[in-house]
Amino acid sequence: MTESDILFKSENLWVKYPNGEVALHDVDFEIEGPSFIAVIGPNGSGKSTLVKTALGLLKPYRGHISLFGFDSMKETGEIRRRVRYVPQRDRIDLNIPMKVIDIVLMGRLLKKSPPRIASSKDKRLSMEALEKVNMDELWKRPFPELSGGQRQRVLVARALASEGQLLLLDEPLAGTDVESQNMIVEALRRYHEENDVSVIMVTHDLNPVHTLVQDVLLLQNTVIGVGTPCSIMDPELLQKVYGPDARVVEYAGHRYCVTRDSGIDRHA
Amino acid sequence: MLEIIEIILTTPFLQRALIGAVLVALVASSSGTFLVFRGLSFMTAGVAHAALGGAALGLFLQESGLIPWFDPILGALLFAVFVALVTGYAGESGIAQKMEVAVGVSFALSMSIAVFLMYYIPPTQVPQIWGYLIGDILLLDNFDVVMLALTALTLVIITAVFNKEFVYVSVDMEGSLAHGMNARAYHYLMLITSALAIALATKAVGAILVYAILVAPAAASNEVLSSVRGVVLGVFVVALLSELAGIASSFAFRASPSAIAGILAAMSYVVAMQIKRHRERIRVSRQTEMKHSRIDRPFPEDKVVATAGSPGDDE
Ligand SMILES: Nc1ncnc2c1ncn2[C@@H]1O[C@H](COP(=O)(O)OP(=O)(O)OP(=O)(O)O)[C@@H](O)[C@H]1O
Ligand SMILES: [Mg+2]
Repeated sequence: MTESDILFKSENLWVKYPNGEVALHDVDFEIEGPSFIAVIGPNGSGKSTLVKTALGLLKPYRGHISLFGFDSMKETGEIRRRVRYVPQRDRIDLNIPMKVIDIVLMGRLLKKSPPRIASSKDKRLSMEALEKVNMDELWKRPFPELSGGQRQRVLVARALASEGQLLLLDEPLAGTDVESQNMIVEALRRYHEENDVSVIMVTHDLNPVHTLVQDVLLLQNTVIGVGTPCSIMDPELLQKVYGPDARVVEYAGHRYCVTRDSGIDRHA
Repeated sequence: MLEIIEIILTTPFLQRALIGAVLVALVASSSGTFLVFRGLSFMTAGVAHAALGGAALGLFLQESGLIPWFDPILGALLFAVFVALVTGYAGESGIAQKMEVAVGVSFALSMSIAVFLMYYIPPTQVPQIWGYLIGDILLLDNFDVVMLALTALTLVIITAVFNKEFVYVSVDMEGSLAHGMNARAYHYLMLITSALAIALATKAVGAILVYAILVAPAAASNEVLSSVRGVVLGVFVVALLSELAGIASSFAFRASPSAIAGILAAMSYVVAMQIKRHRERIRVSRQTEMKHSRIDRPFPEDKVVATAGSPGDDE
């Protein structure tokens, strides 16, 4: 099979964990590329599960999921060659004193074969990626000694420095303050515009990336809605997922969702 | 100084002990370091005791005539690999806690097998099994030294070639897989080579020395040093110094070199913890100083900010 125009596609996908928990069921959608996709939904709605299944890290219980038309189980290698992945931050082990620059280099060296020596180009691109998220001055610091938001920025830099047509980021904005958030969003926006790359970003808050995102996938263990950000910002859809507290407000021609956990003050 | 060199040159068992010390320090820095990174410091003890079960099995098979060629050391290596595989399987998702549990379970199983088989082995042979755990660095023979050298060399080469992979697997298993690295293979490679090295080193210098030297220096270095290379070197230095001090003091007074080395290695961890705590205290006090100086400065805007941000007004 060769690469197709369909970036992200799922057919009757079910994912079940060994403990019997059905994390995803009846997942069907099709999104054309290139795109900037946001996967949203409350905690436990299966966002990380969807992404991991697409990467072949989890096996579908039923159905299929594909990236670029490559099946997650049968053509895993083709997918992984094209992807740069940032797992949810708590999946990174902080017991190892790796330097910031080594974490970023990891994104490039993982795509090489052993002995994975860093060339001067690798180092230059890694430093440039750190500059994009304003972390270049801390390149020598041990990664575990950074603050949560700083670590998140370094992980985004790791994805920016690497190669591959798709950036897959699991909650890159988790635990970041407004400043870090803006920096990450800005870096992703510029990178997406200047390069021929697609982005799939898991987030439980769409608002910070609202104007950047082209397609939204709203999950609650199955697909609740797919479409443009404003079409997903439908009060009925959102209340189905986030409960009666969800409100939709309009601001500068865009619709934003307001829930208790995102709060109104940020958009006022 | 010259005297010491002369003594060393004329005492073969001391030469072997010194070579053994260097080799064990190499095993510690190339295997112990990565096990501690992985959150698997308990695996050293687990593998060594599992090897005991293997040795018992080997002896049983030999004595009962079932498989006469089955050397106890083969059994020990087999069980060491068994622990590594069970641990690896539990940790395929990259979660360290699960692996620690798997070490505990497979280690208990192996020990039970050892004790079970001891009933069927002639009582005169039983001490040979326990002897597996109590090797002594001063009692090494030439064969032990060669075996240990081969083990250490293989381990050092594998670690030198694949240290990046081992680190990547430990830091971010899912990310490594997703970027196309065969992370599972490296995950098992690391655990199996470590397990084999631990089993062979235990046979040579005894369990006490192996526990002490593989875990404490790595844990200590990891507390205070801030790069992977630094930790690897730090482990080598701390391990070697503890062992040399152990050997030296066993000449000065009646003491087991392993015990002295173990005590010193454990002390290094205590010292490292103190250094770390001291550093943190300095950092915290510096931060609070900064905060105070900021508050102390009489900014006229202070008042304005205070009223605008008072609670209840932000709706
Ligand atoms: N390893 C696992 N074993 C068993 N169940 C799991 C596992 N990981 C996730 N689950 C379950 O699957 C469901 C979906 O989890 P997932 O991590 O995909 O949610 P998420 O949308 O990413 O949530 P969050 O916003 O908290 O990251 C949850 O109900 C969770 O309990
Ligand atoms: Mg998640």
